[in-house]
Amino acid sequence: MSVIRWIGPDEPPDPTQLGGKGAGLARLAAAGLRAPPAFVITVDGYREAVGRRLAAELERAAATIPADAPSAELERAAATVRARVVEATAHHPLREDLADAYARLSERVGETAAPVAVRSSAVGEDAAGRSFAGEYDTQLWVRGADDVDACVRACWASLYTARAVAYRARGEPAGEVAMAVCVQQMVDARSAGVFMTLDPANGDRSTVVVESVWGLGGPLVGGEATPDRFVIDKVTGDIVRREVVSKPHELGRHSSGRGTERRPVPTPRCDDPSLSDAELGELARMAKRVEEHAGAPQDGEFAVAAGEPPDNVHILQCRPETAWSRRAQRPVAGRRSALESVVSTLTKESR
Amino acid sequence: MTTTPTSFESPYEVATPEGADGWEQMYNWYHLRGEERRADDEQRFWFHDRLHHPRVLQPYDEIQCECWWQALGAFNTRILAMPPAYGVDQRIINGYLYVSPVPADPAQLQARAELFQRRAGHYYDNWDAIYEEWKQKVTARLREIRAMDFSPLPDIEDESVVFDHRGYSSGYRMIQDFHRLVVVMYETYQYHFEMLNLGYAAYLTLFQFCKQAFPNITDQAISRMVGGLHVDLYRPDDELKRLSKEAVRLGINDEVASADSADALFARLRESDAGREWVADWERTADPWFLFSTDPGHPGGYHDSKPWIEDPDVPLAAVREYVARLREGEEIDRPTAQVLAERERIAGEYRKLLPDEDREAFDEMLELARTVFVYIEEHNIYIEHWLWATFWRKSRDLAAALSAMGAFDAPEDMFLLRRSEVAEAIYDIVAAWSVGSRPRGADYWRPIIAERRRIYEALKAWDPPPALGPPPEEVNEPFTVMLWGITTDQVAAWLSGAGEDGKTLQGQAGSPGVVEGPARIVKTVEELDDVQHGEVLICPATSPSWSPVFSRVVATVSDVGGVMSHAAIICREYGLPAVVGTGGAVRSIATGQRVRVDGDRGIVTILE
Repeated sequence: MSVIRWIGPDEPPDPTQLGGKGAGLARLAAAGLRAPPAFVITVDGYREAVGRRLAAELERAAATIPADAPSAELERAAATVRARVVEATAHHPLREDLADAYARLSERVGETAAPVAVRSSAVGEDAAGRSFAGEYDTQLWVRGADDVDACVRACWASLYTARAVAYRARGEPAGEVAMAVCVQQMVDARSAGVFMTLDPANGDRSTVVVESVWGLGGPLVGGEATPDRFVIDKVTGDIVRREVVSKPHELGRHSSGRGTERRPVPTPRCDDPSLSDAELGELARMAKRVEEHAGAPQDGEFAVAAGEPPDNVHILQCRPETAWSRRAQRPVAGRRSALESVVSTLTKESR
Repeated sequence: MTTTPTSFESPYEVATPEGADGWEQMYNWYHLRGEERRADDEQRFWFHDRLHHPRVLQPYDEIQCECWWQALGAFNTRILAMPPAYGVDQRIINGYLYVSPVPADPAQLQARAELFQRRAGHYYDNWDAIYEEWKQKVTARLREIRAMDFSPLPDIEDESVVFDHRGYSSGYRMIQDFHRLVVVMYETYQYHFEMLNLGYAAYLTLFQFCKQAFPNITDQAISRMVGGLHVDLYRPDDELKRLSKEAVRLGINDEVASADSADALFARLRESDAGREWVADWERTADPWFLFSTDPGHPGGYHDSKPWIEDPDVPLAAVREYVARLREGEEIDRPTAQVLAERERIAGEYRKLLPDEDREAFDEMLELARTVFVYIEEHNIYIEHWLWATFWRKSRDLAAALSAMGAFDAPEDMFLLRRSEVAEAIYDIVAAWSVGSRPRGADYWRPIIAERRRIYEALKAWDPPPALGPPPEEVNEPFTVMLWGITTDQVAAWLSGAGEDGKTLQGQAGSPGVVEGPARIVKTVEELDDVQHGEVLICPATSPSWSPVFSRVVATVSDVGGVMSHAAIICREYGLPAVVGTGGAVRSIATGQRVRVDGDRGIVTILE
């Protein structure tokens, strides 16, 4: 099996090889949803690139870091390990395959050096029942084979962030340390955000909740920006609540074309809703499809490019929802007859 | 917020408007405040029944209130043993109707629940069959009052009185018929409440189940799972559509489209075969389908709202509109099949989202709600339209006859008398007619009527406060919430005077969507013709007889009604935003002002 897998409807969503995010992308493709073209360097790819000797060396180095060490010390130690990963993989054996895959991706989207997002996709991350969101690296607006290669290695190294090290020192996840990396065409996001196929506030499974900001979704996911919030009825498609807030800053593509920059959003645009009703409608439709296909509540990220809906709405990733899905849905009427329900409704009301 | 009062003005501190002194003589004494019931009344929460009786009551029209006061109460309190609620009490204050739901004794809750379960269960199990019987009972009463003839009494009785050995005079007949007219109306109201609150209880049950299972579900989504059946309430509008197509088929559509008045049109059409065929069709259809009240809000609530059959220019305006749309190649029929398919899809998808244990219960509740919903919608055509339209028509015939015989200077005068006084007026006229002398008649009533007319005008100018007395901490009496759309939030908004900045009005979200447009105030059916394409309809409430206007407006705002009101239902059907139950949109907004209607949140904003 190739260690580079193209995400498409026929790629099985195998999290042990694609990692959580990669498997999510495979599910999106299988569900026939609009997502930017992407490929994944598999977990085996990581193993091959790092090799047994380096892996053992890294584990030994990481194991010497005490979980309860002061954070500055933890940071320093983790940085040393990461630098070692980046340095030791400088001539990794997948270099050419990765450059070929990137060239193919660029060709597919009609560019010489397509801008991409490089995202770590760890095993055990994004799985049902466990949510490590934000623990590993994401790099945006990456261009050129060399930069992509550097970012992939940075992702590998990010297995050893101070947070990740401390996390694992507490015993999670068990087993071998390895990860996959996703390389996905960058959507030039006019707006972006997250969706949930239930309402996290009350567990209502008939709603899709969408939060969005101008520009890229990073500040929203990182909790640095207050997003617009929309509640959409999955069944009727009605937008039942809209809370539009002022969004004075956005994260966008850096003027150099590489990386990102934070910039002010002028009035009155900063007070406008960051999504149109038609875009929300398309998002709700896609979210519903993701959930149906997965057979369980999902959440995920999306980006909306310039242009007209529905074609400008893209899902970037999805994963099983973790908080409410663990609980059993509590029945309201249970096995009561309609008449018993009527009596219960009337007697309850008088209390 | 600290300055917000916790209670409304006491009903006993409401002052008489200037020029209205003595207004109490216009209403029955048991409907009024009294010092001996003050302590009791002051502990209760009263609200103005804007839904059924937005205007000042004329004395004769008081019967409308009394009918439902008694019948609703008896069925809730004594017959069905509705567990949480007795009846809804009434007081007339400055000519306006205030009501106060009476909670049942909590100590009786369990016992009443057991009785209710047995009694309501019988109705639910046999609903359709009982409803068929119900229609027979009600239409028999309709036939009875339709057969009454309140013409002026004859100079000399017809021979048949002698040869058929009738044995009584037409004067006696008038006395008896008036008595029967009132009693039959009272009887019909028994039937009105025989099934209605059971229907509401079943609907409310599904409603609350859905709200619990899906906390974000909208009222509209629930009603879309239930409604949509082709019930008789829509038949009058459907008949207009059919007549419009007939006009096109018969090639008389140009004449219909350019008609100024029904009388002129019918006269012209009678000159051709095709025209005669269409006029005959119209006349066949008119009885009973145009016995259809144009009263916004509560059809049949007042004697002066005429049904289509007496005011054919109203249905003709609708036909003109439909003919114009047909000529544009538009589809005018209600998309019934589509609405029903959509209701199945919506119900099916919500069902799938429920945990397994709830699905069967949901199916049962939904089926019951759909069964009762036909009655909830249709009873209007039988009672509010047919019976009340006929009752008021016969009352107007009587007024004309009595006036012609010298009881009053003008027929309208009769409605300023209480119905017991009308019975007296009849005795006076009949006695004089019988002996061949002069009644006291108009000479006696003239000063009384003159004074009452003056009082009535003074009361009309008064602005009744929305509520009186101490509100409950939470408004949760099911029928207050369902029928009147009065919620805890609404009461809090009244108390804090919210919306009195004159810029925003809070109502209920009746139909989703947000739209802006110029306002058009429509208080009566005559004003419907003024509505231009793209305007926002602002009205006290709408009536099913207003249907054609919804193809012209971009949103609707009503003063009264909840999410099950006609305005909300029809707007959901037409896909127009609606805010209902705003309380004072008609008063606060002027025609031509730009407004934003937010049907998602129930807010109307005046933009200029």
